[in-house]
Amino acid sequence: MLLAVLISNSEGNILIERFNGVPAEERSHWRSFLVKSGADNLKGARNEELFVASHKSVYVVYTVIGDVYLYVVGKDEYDELALAEVIFIITASIRDVCQKPPSERLFLDKYGRICLCLDEIVWKGVLENTERERINRLIRLKPPTNI
Amino acid sequence: MAQPLVKKDDDRDDEAEYSPFLGIEKGAVLQEARVFNDPQLDPRRCSQVITKLLYLLNQGDSFTKVEATEVFFSVTKLFQSKDLGLRRMVYLIIKELSPSADEVIIVTSSLMKDMNSKTDMYRANAIRVLCRITDGTLLTQIERYLKQAIVDKNPVVASAALVSGIHLLQTNPEIVKRWSNEVQEAVQSRAALVQFHALALLQQIRQNDRLAVSKLVTSLTRGTVRSPLAQCLLIRYTSQVIRESNTQTGDRPFYDFLESCLRHKAEMVIFEAARAITELSGVTSRELTPAITVLQLFLSSSKPVLRFAAVRTLNKVAMTHPMAVTNCNIDMESLISDQNRSIATLAITTLLKTGNESSVDRLMKQITNFMSDIADEFKIVVVEAIRSLCLKFPLKYRSLMNFLSNILREEGGFEYKKAIVDSIVILIRDIPEAKESGLLHLCEFIEDCEFTYLSTQILHFLGIEGPKTTDPSKYIRYIYNRVHLENATVRAAAVSTLAKFGAMVDALKPRIFVLLRRCIFDSDDEVRDRATLYLNTLGGDGEVVETDKDVKIFLFGDLDIPLVNLETSLKNYEPSEESFDIDSVPKEVKSQPLVEKKAPGKKPAGLGAPPAGPPSTVDAYERLLSSIPEFSNFGKLFKSSSPVELTEAETEYAVNVVKHIFDRHVVFQYNCINTIPEQLLENVSVIVDASEAEDFAEVTSKPVRSLPYDTPGQTFVAFEKPDGITAVGKFSNTLRFIVKEVDPSTGEAEEDGVEDEYQLEDLEVVAADYMMKVGVSNFRNAWESMGEDFERVDEYGLGPRESLAEAVSAVINLLGMQPCEGTEAVATNSRSHTCLLSGVFLGNVRVLVRLQFGIEGSRDVAMKLAVRSEDEAVGDAIHEIVSCS
Repeated sequence: MLLAVLISNSEGNILIERFNGVPAEERSHWRSFLVKSGADNLKGARNEELFVASHKSVYVVYTVIGDVYLYVVGKDEYDELALAEVIFIITASIRDVCQKPPSERLFLDKYGRICLCLDEIVWKGVLENTERERINRLIRLKPPTNI
Repeated sequence: MAQPLVKKDDDRDDEAEYSPFLGIEKGAVLQEARVFNDPQLDPRRCSQVITKLLYLLNQGDSFTKVEATEVFFSVTKLFQSKDLGLRRMVYLIIKELSPSADEVIIVTSSLMKDMNSKTDMYRANAIRVLCRITDGTLLTQIERYLKQAIVDKNPVVASAALVSGIHLLQTNPEIVKRWSNEVQEAVQSRAALVQFHALALLQQIRQNDRLAVSKLVTSLTRGTVRSPLAQCLLIRYTSQVIRESNTQTGDRPFYDFLESCLRHKAEMVIFEAARAITELSGVTSRELTPAITVLQLFLSSSKPVLRFAAVRTLNKVAMTHPMAVTNCNIDMESLISDQNRSIATLAITTLLKTGNESSVDRLMKQITNFMSDIADEFKIVVVEAIRSLCLKFPLKYRSLMNFLSNILREEGGFEYKKAIVDSIVILIRDIPEAKESGLLHLCEFIEDCEFTYLSTQILHFLGIEGPKTTDPSKYIRYIYNRVHLENATVRAAAVSTLAKFGAMVDALKPRIFVLLRRCIFDSDDEVRDRATLYLNTLGGDGEVVETDKDVKIFLFGDLDIPLVNLETSLKNYEPSEESFDIDSVPKEVKSQPLVEKKAPGKKPAGLGAPPAGPPSTVDAYERLLSSIPEFSNFGKLFKSSSPVELTEAETEYAVNVVKHIFDRHVVFQYNCINTIPEQLLENVSVIVDASEAEDFAEVTSKPVRSLPYDTPGQTFVAFEKPDGITAVGKFSNTLRFIVKEVDPSTGEAEEDGVEDEYQLEDLEVVAADYMMKVGVSNFRNAWESMGEDFERVDEYGLGPRESLAEAVSAVINLLGMQPCEGTEAVATNSRSHTCLLSGVFLGNVRVLVRLQFGIEGSRDVAMKLAVRSEDEAVGDAIHEIVSCS
């Protein structure tokens, strides 16, 4: 299960968050844990450089793209490598939508499209799509080209 | 939003300043949402409003029921528009709004229409939305379309239906299971993602059918799997089949497949296979070697995720097969300087597990540099690993102790410092040579310790261990410094420690007296009181004489009274001529309040703090019972049950009972509370009718003399039972007492009372009362080491049952044993299940039980029960419990 996908700005303000199977009372713990991890490690990190951690049987992979921090949390089959795959496709889609590593403003300008990308990639904790070309078309309701 | 035509670089400044959602307000956005009702829809404007709604939802804003309904109804009007971009947004916002069951109907027809549309993308999205918002009734209506969609030639449609299936399986398993043929067909799809989703769904549909999963794995391991993700799933399912095949000897089935995956081109697959091999039960060195080799290669990968995955897996392997990991030590050492501190910490702790005695010094040098730049939570892991290493190589205590003392002096939070102090204390206790240096390190630490808790803990420890050293006087300076420099809590602890030195080391006594006398001028009451108390207890004349045994017991012994009771008595004590008498404090343990006991055992997932362990009441019960002369010859207490309520909540008298089991006796401890302020109960006892418990004979009863309002009291009834027999029976209970009216204004009771009775619930002694829940960490090892000598196996028919899970739970409760390795959980709709139990039976006999269940279509459950124990008679007793029930 993909427990969470969370996107924040560099100050730790949440831009998008999607929790799956995490009780409401635990979400703020997660939020602050992830934001702290980002604040500790992502300042000055390279674009799309991956950071990884685990807590008990839960894995966290996070990265930075432009001014935006991106975190994914998973357990069971969504281990660190699967999460790396998920984060890779999310960053690729953000890059496609924004045409470059986005500033916070650009990210918010493209907010609707990015929400659509996330909707194509993750559905309630299950990875649905991993092909950026396809996602790029699906968010515009265009069929994939490679059928 | 109009963008000014400016150069890109200039644009950046503006970007930082303005957010398109600056000042966004829910009320305004809801107003804006009225554009959805316009007869001439503006798709762009509508999309913008939907984006704002999404932003609000993502920011944690919630809509009231009325607001959500209004927005939802407006959104449904957008189906009129043919604009593709807007339609895509509509699908998303409907999912986010999660309409209630009575609202769904509004949108169903539009979605059904889209689901049958010729436009593939409409179909895929409509499926996803419908499945998200639908209930069971609607699902049966659209099932036909979903089955078609699973085998649709468009992979997007097929994937949408399959992922919907994965979600729906949780809520409507019966329906989704009917799609098995279509899903099977989709597993053969040429589209990689369709195959991945189909494989996941098919395995979940068939997870309880071991043979079917085995067949699936067999066919796919020979066929083509198109995506690395699907291949990873296949490896996981293969591991499951291997685990369940229980092959102990000879070639392991599918090992070759796992091994071949180590040469796959995707790193994800290689890693999954390597991990699967390392986790095989009873894995041999030969099987392990190729997996370790690829993991070793990953250690020097440029990708942090791969390095992390590899070192984490090797860290686990090091716990069971440290020798197999030693080849990776050089690569692991280079990871100590890894930028990712999680990786570095895992590398360090792995090295600490696999390192040999000769490499300890070198390792410590490397770790020293590393410690300064990691967070406290990592440091704690390292400290714990060092503690284990020191216990493993006690000869190396000097360098390890030095390391601990050095990091103790550095900056760090409470938890970290506590971990270090705890480690030093453990090393001092386990390695006698380490005692003197360890105590000095602790002394130096308290010279500059900011944590009161740690200072008092160390002072207490010094008081016990310090006087036993060759030169106790050298610690006095450190202790006495506390009296000058610290807060009152620490000062009071230091006074107690000084007194202990005085009591144990006669030669130091006169000098200790001088110091203690100085403490009687302290500004704090507690410090002065302690100093005065100790001066008097030890004999204030300061002679070099041996301290009385009683005084030593007073100083070093346990208080022997529950602190809660002492606190209550002290609060109730009113200063008077009569001094407080500690003997007047009741020694009875107050049972846990009802609310605590009945709170559901909710387990926090994820980062939730671990629940605190239950307070150890067993010792307290043992002390309580041994203090009652009537029970003193019953021998050692075997087990005390948790309290069983004998009254409803909020009745006049709250009574619960704890069953104490001895070899030949059973004592019922009735905990009673009088909840009526206007009553005083006296001579309270419980009359027990044991006519339905033939093996039990009442031997004694101990009433409570007085039971004032809201003060717990205990009455006891003891029974004798035949030795070695798991006697069971039912006991009916009646509370009997004399009730006296209490004047609420004065609180005084009338002299005359009336005898009265109060019927309590019945109580049963069952077989599980003779069993203690004691788990084992590795059931298989425990089972093997117990041997077959006293194994008893038999089969039982449990008759028709509600479900397999219910049958498993009933047998666990019947035996009262500890389920091991999570085997108490039965997969939904499983047809067979193995449950492993462990416990200690009356007479302290270890018992292990392996239960194998099977359920037939008629819901008849059959059970095979295998028992291994240290005593043949106990194995028989377990079978008797099952056969008699």
